[in-house]
Amino acid sequence: MRTEPINDALTRREAAKRLGSGVLLLFTAGRSRADEEKAGPQKHPLLSSRLHIGDDGTITLLTGKVECGQGIRTSLTQVAAEELRLDPARVRLLMGDTALAPNDGGTWGSLTTPQTVPVIRQACASLRELLCRCAAEEWGVGPAELPVHNGQVRGADGRVYTYRDLARSPKLLTAVSVNAPLTDPFQWQICGRPLRPVNGAAIVSGSHQYSSDLSLPGMRHGRVVRPPNYRCRLLSFDASRAESLPDVRVVHDGDFLGVTAPTAEAAAAAVQLIDVRWSDEPLGDPQTLFGDLKAHAKPPELKEFDRYPALMQAGSISDGMARAVHRLQSTYRIAYIAHVPLEARTAVAQWQGNRLTVQCGTQAPFVVHDEIAHAFQILPEQVRIVVSDTGSGYGAKHNSECELEAARLARGSPEPVRLAWSREEEFTQSYCRPAALMEVQSGVDGDGNIVAWEFHNYNGGAASLSPPYRIPNRYVAYHASESPLRQGSYRSLAAVGNTFAREMHVDEVAEKLGLDPLEFRLRNMENPRLKAVLQRGAERFGWGKSKSGNGVGYGLACNLEKGGHLALFTELEAHGKQVRLRRMVAVFDAGAVINPDILSNQVEGAIVQGIGGALFEELKFDRKEIVNGKLSSYRVPRFQDVPDLEVILVDRRDVLSAGAGESPITVTAPSIGAALYAACGQRVRQLPLLAGMEG
Amino acid sequence: MESFTIHVNGAERTVRADGKTPLLFVLREQLHLTGAKYGCGEGQCGACTVLVAGEPVPSCLLPVGDLGGRPVQTIEGLAKGSALHPVQQAFLDVSAFQCGFCTPGMIMASVALLAKNPRPSANEIRAELAHHVCRCGTYSRIVRAVQGAAESVKRAD
Repeated sequence: MRTEPINDALTRREAAKRLGSGVLLLFTAGRSRADEEKAGPQKHPLLSSRLHIGDDGTITLLTGKVECGQGIRTSLTQVAAEELRLDPARVRLLMGDTALAPNDGGTWGSLTTPQTVPVIRQACASLRELLCRCAAEEWGVGPAELPVHNGQVRGADGRVYTYRDLARSPKLLTAVSVNAPLTDPFQWQICGRPLRPVNGAAIVSGSHQYSSDLSLPGMRHGRVVRPPNYRCRLLSFDASRAESLPDVRVVHDGDFLGVTAPTAEAAAAAVQLIDVRWSDEPLGDPQTLFGDLKAHAKPPELKEFDRYPALMQAGSISDGMARAVHRLQSTYRIAYIAHVPLEARTAVAQWQGNRLTVQCGTQAPFVVHDEIAHAFQILPEQVRIVVSDTGSGYGAKHNSECELEAARLARGSPEPVRLAWSREEEFTQSYCRPAALMEVQSGVDGDGNIVAWEFHNYNGGAASLSPPYRIPNRYVAYHASESPLRQGSYRSLAAVGNTFAREMHVDEVAEKLGLDPLEFRLRNMENPRLKAVLQRGAERFGWGKSKSGNGVGYGLACNLEKGGHLALFTELEAHGKQVRLRRMVAVFDAGAVINPDILSNQVEGAIVQGIGGALFEELKFDRKEIVNGKLSSYRVPRFQDVPDLEVILVDRRDVLSAGAGESPITVTAPSIGAALYAACGQRVRQLPLLAGMEG
Repeated sequence: MESFTIHVNGAERTVRADGKTPLLFVLREQLHLTGAKYGCGEGQCGACTVLVAGEPVPSCLLPVGDLGGRPVQTIEGLAKGSALHPVQQAFLDVSAFQCGFCTPGMIMASVALLAKNPRPSANEIRAELAHHVCRCGTYSRIVRAVQGAAESVKRAD
């Protein structure tokens, strides 16, 4: 399928084209910025920067967030339709275009639901209120108490006033009203229901357009010459043989070396003909990784407004330990793992003079935008990033990597250049989920109360650092370190390792006290929502009804992360290193549920993704390079790995919705780890578990 | 570079390519049939699966020169006009996807499975699709979708 090029010099006509046919709301990027400033001291964004009304009555919602499989194209459609009182089929989303959409931040940290949903809700409620006000004014009727149904206000005499009528009103250049009333979640008609994915028909018919499906007329194909690892510097190269091929261009800039050619095959062949010398830069010794991470640890660093503070303390650890009757110390390790988004990164870059447009599948279009503007020292308005729904990310696609490379390859060339990373490049050229070391020390009093808790994470991060238990004396710290591999974000990032270490340790303490792990947790917990998910899960799972042993084990874990309250119960069988997950029951409370089917899908998917990191995923490296950067040597969860998994959602309409795409991954590893111990008596204190098993 | 006539979705198409070029890239780059996806390039993920003479094949490993006269069916050739194939409809009905990148390959392999075995058990479905990766982890839903499709085909008969 061919796609028309999108020019960065955005004319009204072009903007109209991308927004769809219809009435254009005096809308251009430049104009709206000036109008934003006029909008007044509160700096509330203009309605027209968020919503566009087509002359067929369709409303386009603009957002800088992107769809990467988490389902927000659908859930945001519902949220908008709910407040607009409009059929969801008449709402469309324009996402991730830096020239058209507001900067809603990167699509990460499960922030779309807690941060962007309220903003969109307010904008749509404002538009609905404006519709009523304009209808009332036009008809000369009293206070605007006119109800909106199906996208229109109906007068007593049968007259109607629609969003289409409103589109002609200059009032759209007013700011979003903070006073427009929002719909009470208990009154939801469209939210709270399992609306099917709005892009579903395109997905099952194969017509859904991902960034790797883009093809522009005259497009060239790029390929980058790769060093053994990211630390290597380019010493010298001879590209004469490559340059002798027809229509091959070599691009060299500092340590960056690549080619462009008329086809991807020709580019790949040309790269093979370049003789190149890289400096020898060791990665470090994988055998001493965890000791090295601790040796190079820095003191916890506290920052202002940090979502995850690196240091939290209360009471006194020494006092707590002195009071304790039972004391336990243990150490946990987790390996580097890769994201493996099934769609490898692809970008198509096109320069027109000093103006650059990059079409890609990033999770963070505005981050990529700023990084690219900075890299080329051009003005922000000279760069436009346009994102297609991406073939998943899980935290992999936050930075301009492929995008920047495509832009470098295309620089100085009149044609657009497409750069598609191979699977091997996905594994070896991007960043990975950090490896981490966790040290835990705890003390419990004679009544089974945890009275002291000291926890150190080295290199992993601070998410889920603080235990969801009632502990009077606590010291939890995250120490940044020096990593041999490039590392970065990942689904729930550090919360996976921190939850694994904490929940495994809690199980060990419970065993030492001769207490049931569920009972011990409930005894040390105050949060009623967390208690409730544990109790509900225990009941559904039949916790305590069967005894572990003879290769069959039962385990559980819980967590409170990003506003999500989670409990996961696991039944598995283990014969030596042959581990088969039989059954899992998950209970999840993340507040009011906007779309139960999408939420359930996310919970299932996150737990299943967690199985990989729990049991077998591990990115291996030697002193020179990553050595298992292929799907044939890096195992991800497959059909046979997935148990009978039941997800129970708690819909709390009285509580604000939390983001949910990430946190369920955090309970998989400790729940499996606990069941594995129950099944075969091996307490494995490292991830992946299979690598730490004996026999 | 050679000229090849290949039969795709019921039509004859002529392409120019090196005979060693994988079918996947011929489909995607020359015929603009982008439903089959590149996932790994070594037949480990199933995202590029198309049917060759009715058999599911990873098109990233099949040289276009080895096709012979065998007909190729891609996800684009599955629906009849605007009516989705029962397997496509079943995937839609249970939202058996998240990002959807693996979906065309999963659907093509499932179509081939149901042609051979109209009433597969859950274990047979898992075994048949073992080479396919859904990185979003919607495996249970995919099994349900294939079973749902089997039911709807049975009802239609």
